[in-house]
Amino acid sequence: MAHILVVDDDEAIRSFLAEILRKAGHTVIEAENGCAGFEKIKVDPVDLTITDIFMPEMDGIDLLAAILQTYPNSKVIAITGGYKAMYSHLTLKLAQSFGAVDIITKPFQVDQVIRKVALALQSMDIQAEEGVMT
Amino acid sequence: MNTFAKNDLHPDRDMELSQDADNEPFLVLDKLAEMKQELGPSFLNVIQHFQSGILLRPEKINQAIQANDPERVERESHSLKSVCRQIGLVQMGHLAANLESLAHAGELRGAGLLVGQLIQAGQLAHSQLTEYCTSP
Repeated sequence: MAHILVVDDDEAIRSFLAEILRKAGHTVIEAENGCAGFEKIKVDPVDLTITDIFMPEMDGIDLLAAILQTYPNSKVIAITGGYKAMYSHLTLKLAQSFGAVDIITKPFQVDQVIRKVALALQSMDIQAEEGVMT
Repeated sequence: MNTFAKNDLHPDRDMELSQDADNEPFLVLDKLAEMKQELGPSFLNVIQHFQSGILLRPEKINQAIQANDPERVERESHSLKSVCRQIGLVQMGHLAANLESLAHAGELRGAGLLVGQLIQAGQLAHSQLTEYCTSP
Protein backbone atom coordinates (compact mmCIF):
# COMPACT_ATOMS: atom_id res chain seq x y z
CA MET A 1 0.00 0.00 0.00
CA ALA A 2 1.19 3.51 -0.74
CA HIS A 3 1.23 7.04 0.64
CA ILE A 4 -0.67 9.29 -1.79
CA LEU A 5 -1.22 13.04 -2.16
CA VAL A 6 -4.51 14.15 -3.73
CA VAL A 7 -4.56 17.73 -5.06
CA ASP A 8 -7.78 19.32 -6.27
CA ASP A 9 -9.25 22.76 -5.59
CA ASP A 10 -12.70 21.24 -5.31
CA GLU A 11 -13.28 19.76 -1.87
CA ALA A 12 -15.98 17.34 -3.07
CA ILE A 13 -13.85 15.78 -5.82
CA ARG A 14 -10.81 15.74 -3.52
CA SER A 15 -12.62 14.01 -0.66
CA PHE A 16 -14.20 11.51 -3.06
CA LEU A 17 -10.81 10.57 -4.51
CA ALA A 18 -9.26 10.41 -1.03
CA GLU A 19 -11.99 8.08 0.26
CA ILE A 20 -11.65 5.79 -2.77
CA LEU A 21 -7.93 5.49 -2.07
CA ARG A 22 -8.30 5.03 1.71
CA LYS A 23 -10.85 2.29 1.11
CA ALA A 24 -8.29 0.63 -1.17
CA GLY A 25 -5.88 0.60 1.79
CA HIS A 26 -3.66 3.58 0.99
CA THR A 27 -2.80 6.47 3.32
CA VAL A 28 -3.81 9.81 1.85
CA ILE A 29 -2.98 13.47 2.38
CA GLU A 30 -4.91 16.25 0.64
CA ALA A 31 -4.21 19.74 -0.68
CA GLU A 32 -6.37 22.37 -2.38
CA ASN A 33 -3.79 23.61 -4.89
CA GLY A 34 -0.33 22.85 -6.26
CA CYS A 35 1.43 25.23 -3.92
CA ALA A 36 -0.12 23.70 -0.78
CA GLY A 37 0.49 20.21 -2.18
CA PHE A 38 4.18 20.80 -2.79
CA GLU A 39 4.60 22.24 0.72
CA LYS A 40 2.96 19.12 2.16
CA ILE A 41 5.20 16.63 0.38
CA LYS A 42 8.32 18.55 1.46
CA VAL A 43 7.56 17.48 5.03
CA ASP A 44 5.66 14.27 4.26
CA PRO A 45 6.98 12.68 1.04
CA VAL A 46 4.56 10.52 -0.94
CA ASP A 47 4.88 7.63 -3.37
CA LEU A 48 2.26 8.99 -5.74
CA THR A 49 0.45 12.27 -6.41
CA ILE A 50 -2.92 12.58 -8.13
CA THR A 51 -3.33 16.18 -9.23
CA ASP A 52 -6.00 18.20 -10.97
CA ILE A 53 -4.66 20.41 -13.76
CA PHE A 54 -6.74 23.61 -13.63
CA MET A 55 -6.26 25.12 -10.16
CA PRO A 56 -5.57 28.57 -8.72
CA GLU A 57 -2.22 29.46 -7.08
CA MET A 58 -0.12 26.72 -8.71
CA ASP A 59 -1.66 24.54 -11.41
CA GLY A 60 -1.18 20.81 -11.91
CA ILE A 61 1.42 21.12 -14.67
CA ASP A 62 3.66 23.32 -12.50
CA LEU A 63 3.19 20.95 -9.55
CA LEU A 64 4.02 17.96 -11.74
CA ALA A 65 7.23 19.61 -12.94
CA ALA A 66 8.22 20.63 -9.40
CA ILE A 67 7.61 17.15 -7.98
CA LEU A 68 9.51 15.29 -10.68
CA GLN A 69 12.42 17.73 -10.50
CA THR A 70 12.70 17.36 -6.71
CA TYR A 71 11.61 13.72 -6.31
CA PRO A 72 12.45 11.97 -9.61
CA ASN A 73 11.29 8.56 -8.36
CA SER A 74 7.87 9.81 -7.35
CA LYS A 75 4.90 9.19 -9.67
CA VAL A 76 2.20 11.62 -10.73
CA ILE A 77 -1.23 10.97 -12.24
CA ALA A 78 -2.92 14.01 -13.85
CA ILE A 79 -6.68 14.48 -13.76
CA THR A 80 -8.95 17.04 -15.42
CA GLY A 81 -12.43 17.76 -16.67
CA GLY A 82 -10.93 19.94 -19.38
CA TYR A 83 -12.56 22.95 -21.02
CA LYS A 84 -14.13 20.78 -23.69
CA ALA A 85 -13.39 17.16 -24.59
CA MET A 86 -10.69 18.12 -27.07
CA TYR A 87 -8.97 20.48 -24.67
CA SER A 88 -9.18 17.90 -21.92
CA HIS A 89 -7.38 15.41 -24.17
CA LEU A 90 -4.69 17.94 -25.12
CA THR A 91 -4.19 19.04 -21.53
CA LEU A 92 -3.71 15.49 -20.35
CA LYS A 93 -1.30 14.81 -23.22
CA LEU A 94 0.64 17.87 -22.09
CA ALA A 95 0.74 16.44 -18.56
CA GLN A 96 2.11 13.18 -19.93
CA SER A 97 4.78 15.06 -21.85
CA PHE A 98 5.83 16.63 -18.52
CA GLY A 99 6.19 13.13 -17.02
CA ALA A 100 2.77 12.14 -15.68
CA VAL A 101 2.69 8.36 -15.52
CA ASP A 102 -1.03 8.25 -16.33
CA ILE A 103 -4.06 10.46 -16.90
CA ILE A 104 -7.66 10.40 -15.72
CA THR A 105 -10.58 12.30 -17.25
CA LYS A 106 -13.43 13.59 -15.09
CA PRO A 107 -15.99 12.25 -14.51
CA PHE A 108 -14.07 9.17 -13.43
CA GLN A 109 -15.14 5.68 -12.38
CA VAL A 110 -14.01 4.30 -9.02
CA ASP A 111 -12.53 1.12 -10.50
CA GLN A 112 -10.69 3.21 -13.11
CA VAL A 113 -8.95 5.22 -10.36
CA ILE A 114 -8.00 2.10 -8.40
CA ARG A 115 -6.68 0.38 -11.54
CA LYS A 116 -4.57 3.36 -12.64
CA VAL A 117 -3.12 3.84 -9.15
CA ALA A 118 -2.22 0.15 -8.97
CA LEU A 119 -0.48 0.36 -12.37
CA ALA A 120 1.47 3.47 -11.33
CA LEU A 121 2.62 1.81 -8.12
CA GLN A 122 3.51 -1.35 -10.02
CA SER A 123 5.75 0.70 -12.32
CA MET A 124 7.50 2.08 -9.20
CA ASP A 125 8.13 -1.46 -7.93
CA ILE A 126 9.59 -2.49 -11.30
CA GLN A 127 11.87 0.57 -11.32
CA ALA A 128 12.99 -0.21 -7.76
CA GLU A 129 13.77 -3.83 -8.67
CA GLU A 130 15.73 -2.70 -11.72
CA GLY A 131 17.62 -0.28 -9.51
CA VAL A 132 18.62 -3.12 -7.17
CA MET A 133 19.74 -5.29 -10.08
CA THR A 134 22.00 -2.64 -11.65
CA MET B 1 -31.20 4.54 -16.43
CA ASN B 2 -32.50 5.35 -12.95
CA THR B 3 -33.09 9.12 -12.69
CA PHE B 4 -34.92 11.90 -10.91
CA ALA B 5 -36.75 14.21 -13.28
CA LYS B 6 -36.37 17.85 -12.33
CA ASN B 7 -39.88 18.05 -10.85
CA ASP B 8 -40.01 14.70 -9.09
CA LEU B 9 -39.82 16.23 -5.64
CA HIS B 10 -41.18 19.72 -6.31
CA PRO B 11 -43.90 19.42 -8.97
CA ASP B 12 -44.96 23.06 -8.62
CA ARG B 13 -41.45 24.50 -8.74
CA ASP B 14 -40.88 26.78 -11.72
CA MET B 15 -37.48 25.73 -12.99
CA GLU B 16 -36.39 27.71 -16.01
CA LEU B 17 -33.70 25.44 -17.29
CA SER B 18 -32.56 25.78 -20.87
CA GLN B 19 -34.38 24.03 -23.69
CA ASP B 20 -31.53 21.59 -24.36
CA ALA B 21 -31.15 20.72 -20.71
CA ASP B 22 -34.87 19.91 -20.44
CA ASN B 23 -34.34 16.78 -22.53
CA GLU B 24 -31.72 15.42 -20.11
CA PRO B 25 -32.28 13.77 -16.73
CA PHE B 26 -31.78 16.09 -13.79
CA LEU B 27 -30.06 13.53 -11.56
CA VAL B 28 -28.79 10.10 -12.57
CA LEU B 29 -29.35 7.92 -9.52
CA ASP B 30 -27.15 5.11 -10.86
CA LYS B 31 -24.11 7.35 -10.29
CA LEU B 32 -25.07 7.83 -6.65
CA ALA B 33 -25.77 4.13 -6.20
CA GLU B 34 -22.31 3.31 -7.53
CA MET B 35 -20.70 5.82 -5.15
CA LYS B 36 -22.72 4.48 -2.21
CA GLN B 37 -21.70 0.93 -2.97
CA GLU B 38 -18.02 1.81 -3.41
CA LEU B 39 -17.64 4.15 -0.42
CA GLY B 40 -19.78 2.40 2.20
CA PRO B 41 -20.15 4.40 5.43
CA SER B 42 -18.08 7.37 4.17
CA PHE B 43 -20.60 7.95 1.36
CA LEU B 44 -22.66 10.39 3.45
CA ASN B 45 -19.60 12.45 4.36
CA VAL B 46 -18.52 12.71 0.71
CA ILE B 47 -22.05 13.60 -0.42
CA GLN B 48 -22.12 16.46 2.09
CA HIS B 49 -19.06 17.94 0.35
CA PHE B 50 -20.85 17.65 -3.01
CA GLN B 51 -23.97 19.27 -1.55
CA SER B 52 -21.94 22.20 -0.20
CA GLY B 53 -20.26 22.61 -3.59
CA ILE B 54 -23.45 22.70 -5.62
CA LEU B 55 -24.85 25.43 -3.37
CA LEU B 56 -21.70 27.52 -2.94
CA ARG B 57 -20.15 27.41 -6.43
CA PRO B 58 -23.12 29.08 -8.19
CA GLU B 59 -22.97 31.85 -5.57
CA LYS B 60 -19.24 32.28 -6.22
CA ILE B 61 -19.93 32.40 -9.97
CA ASN B 62 -22.57 35.04 -9.34
CA GLN B 63 -20.08 37.12 -7.34
CA ALA B 64 -17.52 36.79 -10.15
CA ILE B 65 -20.13 37.92 -12.71
CA GLN B 66 -20.99 40.93 -10.54
CA ALA B 67 -17.25 41.72 -10.38
CA ASN B 68 -17.07 41.37 -14.21
CA ASP B 69 -14.28 38.81 -13.83
CA PRO B 70 -14.57 36.27 -16.72
CA GLU B 71 -11.45 34.39 -15.63
CA ARG B 72 -12.93 33.65 -12.21
CA VAL B 73 -16.32 32.82 -13.77
CA GLU B 74 -14.57 30.33 -16.06
CA ARG B 75 -12.60 28.73 -13.20
CA GLU B 76 -15.60 28.40 -10.87
CA SER B 77 -17.87 27.16 -13.68
CA HIS B 78 -15.24 24.62 -14.67
CA SER B 79 -15.11 23.27 -11.10
CA LEU B 80 -18.89 23.17 -10.82
CA LYS B 81 -19.15 21.35 -14.17
CA SER B 82 -16.78 18.63 -12.93
CA VAL B 83 -18.64 18.23 -9.64
CA CYS B 84 -22.02 17.99 -11.37
CA ARG B 85 -20.87 15.49 -13.95
CA GLN B 86 -19.16 13.37 -11.31
CA ILE B 87 -22.31 13.02 -9.24
CA GLY B 88 -24.76 12.66 -12.14
CA LEU B 89 -26.31 16.15 -12.16
CA VAL B 90 -26.60 16.25 -15.94
CA GLN B 91 -28.58 19.46 -16.47
CA MET B 92 -26.51 21.44 -13.98
CA GLY B 93 -23.36 20.15 -15.67
CA HIS B 94 -24.63 21.51 -19.02
CA LEU B 95 -25.47 24.89 -17.51
CA ALA B 96 -22.04 25.14 -15.90
CA ALA B 97 -20.36 24.12 -19.18
CA ASN B 98 -22.32 26.83 -21.03
CA LEU B 99 -21.18 29.43 -18.51
CA GLU B 100 -17.61 28.19 -18.78
CA SER B 101 -17.74 28.58 -22.58
CA LEU B 102 -19.15 32.12 -22.33
CA ALA B 103 -16.50 33.14 -19.81
CA HIS B 104 -13.73 31.51 -21.84
CA ALA B 105 -14.77 33.76 -24.75
CA GLY B 106 -14.72 36.75 -22.36
CA GLU B 107 -18.45 37.18 -22.90
CA LEU B 108 -20.54 37.61 -19.76
CA ARG B 109 -23.74 38.86 -21.43
CA GLY B 110 -26.39 36.26 -20.64
CA ALA B 111 -24.31 34.88 -17.79
CA GLY B 112 -26.68 36.37 -15.22
CA LEU B 113 -29.59 34.32 -16.56
CA LEU B 114 -27.53 31.15 -16.58
CA VAL B 115 -26.26 31.63 -13.06
CA GLY B 116 -29.83 32.25 -11.89
CA GLN B 117 -30.78 28.88 -13.35
CA LEU B 118 -27.73 27.31 -11.73
CA ILE B 119 -28.65 28.68 -8.30
CA GLN B 120 -32.19 27.27 -8.63
CA ALA B 121 -30.89 23.95 -9.90
CA GLY B 122 -28.36 23.77 -7.07
CA GLN B 123 -31.11 24.17 -4.48
CA LEU B 124 -33.19 21.45 -6.12
CA ALA B 125 -30.16 19.17 -6.43
CA HIS B 126 -29.37 19.67 -2.73
CA SER B 127 -32.94 18.62 -1.84
CA GLN B 128 -32.85 15.58 -4.10
CA LEU B 129 -29.51 14.45 -2.70
CA THR B 130 -30.84 14.80 0.85
CA GLU B 131 -33.92 12.82 -0.19
CA TYR B 132 -31.70 10.11 -1.69
CA CYS B 133 -29.46 9.92 1.39
CA THR B 134 -32.31 9.76 3.88
CA SER B 135 -34.41 7.26 1.96
CA PRO B 136 -34.10 3.64 3.16
